[in-house]
Amino acid sequence: MAISASFKNSIRNSKNSADKQTRASMAAFKFPLVMSISLILLSFVPRVQGNFALVWSFWGAAATLLLWQAYLIVNSKNKNEEHVFSVVLRPQHYIQAMVQFSVYAYWGYYWRPVYDHAWLMLAQLLFAYTFDMLLAWSRRREYNLGFGPFPIIFSINLFLWFRDDWFYMQFVMIAVGFMGKEYVRWNRDGRSSHIFNPSAFALGLFSLVLIATNTTGLTWGQDIASTLTLAPNIYTFLFLVGLIVMYHFSITLVASMAAITLFGVSALYSASTGVPYFLDSEIPAAVFLGLHLLITDPSTSPRTPLGKTFFGLLYGLGVFGLYTLLGAMGEPTFYDKLLVVPLLNLSVIAIDRAVRSIHSTALLNVWKESWLGGRANLAHMSIWIVIFASMSFLGKTDNKHQGDSLPFWEQACASDLSNACGRMLQLEATYCADNAAWACNEIGAHYREGMITASNQELSMAYFSRGCELKFQAACLNLLDTELVAREVPHELDLRLLLREGGQNLMTLSEQELVERACEHDWVFACENNGA
Amino acid sequence: MSKPQSETEAKRQSKQEDQRKDLDREQVPDRAVGLTIMCLAIVFVAVWMALQSPQQIDSEKTGFSSPAQAAITGFLANAWFLPDEPLLGFVQIPAGPFIMGSNPALDRLAYENERWSSNRRQGTVQIDDFYIGLFEVTAAQFRVFIAEHPDLANEVPAEIQGDMPITNVTWPEALAYARWLQQKLENSSDTPEELRSYLAAGGQVSIPSEAEWEKAARGADGRIFPWGNTPSAASANYGSSAMLPVGSRPCAECAFGLQDMSGNVWEITRSPLQAYPYDPNDDAENLSEDALWVMRGGSFSDGVGNVRAAVRGGVDPSVRNNSIGFRVVISKP
Repeated sequence: MAISASFKNSIRNSKNSADKQTRASMAAFKFPLVMSISLILLSFVPRVQGNFALVWSFWGAAATLLLWQAYLIVNSKNKNEEHVFSVVLRPQHYIQAMVQFSVYAYWGYYWRPVYDHAWLMLAQLLFAYTFDMLLAWSRRREYNLGFGPFPIIFSINLFLWFRDDWFYMQFVMIAVGFMGKEYVRWNRDGRSSHIFNPSAFALGLFSLVLIATNTTGLTWGQDIASTLTLAPNIYTFLFLVGLIVMYHFSITLVASMAAITLFGVSALYSASTGVPYFLDSEIPAAVFLGLHLLITDPSTSPRTPLGKTFFGLLYGLGVFGLYTLLGAMGEPTFYDKLLVVPLLNLSVIAIDRAVRSIHSTALLNVWKESWLGGRANLAHMSIWIVIFASMSFLGKTDNKHQGDSLPFWEQACASDLSNACGRMLQLEATYCADNAAWACNEIGAHYREGMITASNQELSMAYFSRGCELKFQAACLNLLDTELVAREVPHELDLRLLLREGGQNLMTLSEQELVERACEHDWVFACENNGA
Repeated sequence: MSKPQSETEAKRQSKQEDQRKDLDREQVPDRAVGLTIMCLAIVFVAVWMALQSPQQIDSEKTGFSSPAQAAITGFLANAWFLPDEPLLGFVQIPAGPFIMGSNPALDRLAYENERWSSNRRQGTVQIDDFYIGLFEVTAAQFRVFIAEHPDLANEVPAEIQGDMPITNVTWPEALAYARWLQQKLENSSDTPEELRSYLAAGGQVSIPSEAEWEKAARGADGRIFPWGNTPSAASANYGSSAMLPVGSRPCAECAFGLQDMSGNVWEITRSPLQAYPYDPNDDAENLSEDALWVMRGGSFSDGVGNVRAAVRGGVDPSVRNNSIGFRVVISKP
């Protein structure tokens, strides 16, 4: 429901006089002008001043907006055009924004770069409001001022943000998102509406470009995807805030079906191959976030209950398939949840049409609107709550995951289970990047031996170098002698990284607790030490 | 949204819809223009990102892009800036025994870790012949290597140039330079025949073991300093405020004629820091300890006690320090 408080009356009343009209139109420009100047002022905060490229990104964005305003002002004076805005507060914007904000607050408490990013997020909001307003006026439309840009900016930043040196791309990404909303439209049920969820459109397009140009390193994408689990019980948290969105906007069928599909196919894969599909969880936390907050835009998803169910099902299958595809291509797998959304948005009309073509009343009434006295959404939510509770009870959400244990993957690789060696290498590379010297030495050894992967001496030397710089003596010896493959069990610091199960590094755990935990993870040396 | 919309909202949406239809009919401003601008923005992003290759990113950050360097007297620009000497600056150290460690009775500055064992002050070590660099590796030499490994460019301070000894290099990077130099020497037709034969017979370019370093520094007669048993500030750069270009303190009387074995910069070795007696066969025995490698020779900022030929320092393999460099050897493992 929209709450509308119109500010435009004062402007409208002056329509009879062209002079007054121009003045009124000029008055409306104060808003984007203040926003643009605020963007410039933001560039003087220490967080931004610390990076020259960042400062120029802000100035460049502000200059673009100011030039655009100048053009519109001149144009509207010449043509006596009127530019107005009215305040329209829509719950789907501000509730979504509040939920997203709570995710930032919780996640950022455990991963500080999120809080450091706050100034940059504010800048994006200023840019988004101004850009959206100018775009509407350029199209000679009245602008609805509300919380619309919030969920778009928050949603984009929950998945991708550019590093400081390339931050100007963040502004371009936002601009593309809004332009996609304005220009890429179709006629749906007799009304012109945008095809793509604006944030998902921008994220999807930029993901494609980043993959094609092999420039993922310019963004924080990988870090974002892997740090959500630093916040304890993140699945439960996302589930709870997701319920708020579900309650207000009837997206339960979409989100829960996506989650159930992923849980299901993941479990099927695990049962048939003996190894988990995803490395660190049944559903990666970032995907779980995405299915609650990225695919649930009501205006770009199907309208019928069965259509929503299909939509969620396709998202789950899409993520599942893309994860494999991206992995096989050697690309970062975190793009899975981003690339699939624009494709789903495109299929919405087809889904709706397919559902309407079903003549089976029984099938169409799978999700009965009459449940709970017509409050079907509550019934859907109840079912989802039961399913999530069951998954949690079975340890499939926030608990330790089998895929977190390196000895498990070593064993699976030795047993030649499906893709286990590749997963083990992937996991070791991740831990090596986290500065676990043992993992660097292990992966270097694999590339030197060439038994479970193709031999690559250059790569092995790079990993040994890293392991050696992390003071792992075996890695240093491997660097010295190219015929040698020296190995050693993980050192204490390695264990503090290897056993974190996707959470915080275990820097405060006592040595005894560390050994016990290592034994729980099936590290044989730890069990022997523990026994001794 | 499943909830019914208010009448006002419905009216507003309907009006905005009409506005939009009017716009599309008027074609002003043309929607195609907006779409074109959006597509151009995406193409711009794609092209711009394609230009942001990792190598470019590194070289832009460091400002180091060209291997071209000014000529340096006494060094060959066309031979990776190795010294203009018959063996490209490599000096042969003959096979044979030498006395390792310190005798506190003769050397009052000796440290405890230079003692051979609980019942012996010094030991005798036999090593095969090998070649060692006349000078420490210079900045010019290392920068030729960096030109082919731009990912390292931002690690080395730009102010170290020319014939100054390269410093701020980690232990793995020193080894990487040695491996790279080996490839160059093996593949170049200009490599002196003596070196070529030695390499063909299994010689490997590396950093010295501490025994190789000590023998090269003090000769077979167990002298305390490379030039003899008494300190000489004229023969080495120590107790000063800055490092000097290699060979700035000529030392003809030094063992094998090697320069800067004492002082100027510490030189890292390929031997782990562990208690004597020296035995290269036990280097792999203590893998559970953190790696720590021996460095030798002291630096410009050290006093006379640390520039003795037997002194043993320890360095973490990841350390970059402006008083730590290295020298290369060609030896048979």
